[in-house]
Amino acid sequence: MALIELRNVSKSYKRDAIEIPVLDGVTITVDGGDFLGLMGPSGSGKSTLLNLLAGIDRPSRGTIRIGDTEISSLSERALATWRARHIGFIFQLYNLIPVLTAFENVELPLLLTNLTKTQRRDHVMTALGIVGIADREKHYQRQLSGGQEQRVAIARAIVTDPTLLLADEPTGDLDAKSAAEVLTLLQRLNQEYKKTIVMVTHDPHAAERATHLLHLEKGTLVEQAAAAQ
Amino acid sequence: MKFVGLILKSARRSKRRTALTMISVALAVFLFAALRSVLDGFDAVSAASSAQRLVTIRSTSMIFSMPTSHTEAIRSTAGVTDVTWANWFGGIYKDPKNFFGQFAVDPESYLRMYPEVILTPEEKAAFLADRTGCIVGDGLAKKYGWQLGDRIVLQPGIPVYGSLDYPFTIRGIYRAGSSAVDNQSMLFHWKYADERSSPKGQVGWVVTRVSDPEQATQVIAAIDQRFANSPYETKTETEQAFSAQFASMLGNLNLLLGSVALAVVLSTLFVAGNTMAMSVRERTTEIAVMRTLGYPALTIFLLVVGEGLLVAVVGGAMGAALARAVVNAEFLGLAGGFIPLFGVNNWNVVVGIGLSVFIGVVAAVIPATMASRLKIVDALRRVA
Repeated sequence: MALIELRNVSKSYKRDAIEIPVLDGVTITVDGGDFLGLMGPSGSGKSTLLNLLAGIDRPSRGTIRIGDTEISSLSERALATWRARHIGFIFQLYNLIPVLTAFENVELPLLLTNLTKTQRRDHVMTALGIVGIADREKHYQRQLSGGQEQRVAIARAIVTDPTLLLADEPTGDLDAKSAAEVLTLLQRLNQEYKKTIVMVTHDPHAAERATHLLHLEKGTLVEQAAAAQ
Repeated sequence: MKFVGLILKSARRSKRRTALTMISVALAVFLFAALRSVLDGFDAVSAASSAQRLVTIRSTSMIFSMPTSHTEAIRSTAGVTDVTWANWFGGIYKDPKNFFGQFAVDPESYLRMYPEVILTPEEKAAFLADRTGCIVGDGLAKKYGWQLGDRIVLQPGIPVYGSLDYPFTIRGIYRAGSSAVDNQSMLFHWKYADERSSPKGQVGWVVTRVSDPEQATQVIAAIDQRFANSPYETKTETEQAFSAQFASMLGNLNLLLGSVALAVVLSTLFVAGNTMAMSVRERTTEIAVMRTLGYPALTIFLLVVGEGLLVAVVGGAMGAALARAVVNAEFLGLAGGFIPLFGVNNWNVVVGIGLSVFIGVVAAVIPATMASRLKIVDALRRVA
């Protein structure tokens, strides 16, 4: 069953008086449990597409439905509530809050819920356990390696058990070994925990882990292919 | 409550900057509370002044004296039941910086007119019996470590009292029974000073008790009328008006001190506002990340305001506590005996902390609005 449906989505930005088209009439359907890789050169619109799926940007035209929700028509406040419940976002540069420990970073999305402190702790430790970094709960960002930071960021993304995991070049800032570990982790989340994942990447090795691939070029889909798997 | 930890962590992000902001708020509240205590001290004196007592001075200025014959003339005015008088002595105790009020008074009538000067019967009798005796307030005695029977010497500070030292024996240590009387002054026999004065027979001011406070206006008019067109014209007022006028000798204190307090608070507001804005600008990406995680704009706004509030209130509490500790410390003698109730009271502490709340909230509103209106995608792109 389709979890994500983009219908004729276009996006353009205005810089001064000039309108810059980024996406042009993109239509995509992604089933629940898929691991979709989005590839394409810089400026092809991959990250913009990811931002639209995350509800942190709005399309200029077209509709985006995720699950039962038509997100392009939600208000800012409703969109924030929806993001908190349904989206887990993994950034290329991890974007952990440096003054918070690994535990507190992962707890951050849970502060928006009605969970008790004990329940929050259970959820956080479970998420840190899944990404294999429970022993680093009291460490700050500066005390972690890049790979560990990204694991904490993944734990933060999954701690609310979101409907959809979005990853924006999650291995772009990691060495090969750490990148492989992170990709294995994402693959595990997809296969073992049935998480639907959309990952933007430049890296063909990373793309190999996806179950489906989409290629974007100059804001349009140029190719759609099933991954090796 | 669950966001308090987050606010605390954010405030500790740059410890030096947070500490400096707290100190600036602390200084503002300290100055506010200290300045308020001065005004409150004067207000308390006016409020506690007796409605039955009138004060007569020379119409030109209270620094000019008038002949003792005025006291008898005033005593014979209709509606007057009692009279006493006093002179400002202005002596020096060891060093000019040891300033306190010294008044040459007519002891019997003065103590009769001012029951707020509380002495034991033995002290009172000893004071009345000793022409070179004096009584001192308990605050003053504590400040200089004086005991009953101690000998103290004052150098005359005003030429009319001659150039020879005035030795005194402390015959009593009085307590102030109301705010109309301070506990930082020294009273001694007017005759002792008058003996060495040139010219003799001069009084600085005359205090009159009226039988009916409702008739005070008529008595005031009658007294001043009696000396009209004489070389020593007088100006009579209620004690309350006299106290207020005494304060106003230092200028329009309310306006002056109020302006200083306002300037301090405003400049602190700008400093705190600028600091908060810097702090928010540095956290643009983090705020964008939090928004991505689902934090609503209002929550971000409240977190930033909460941080401003926390820093300001901690600073305000520090300032209020410091003001209370410093201004209320009797050993520092900041009031110099001029303002009986000089001290930071609970209300000023509450108002000072309230002021810090105002500074915290107002200073944070613009940065908080900036943070809550942040466009997530633009903020994330800035660092990507």
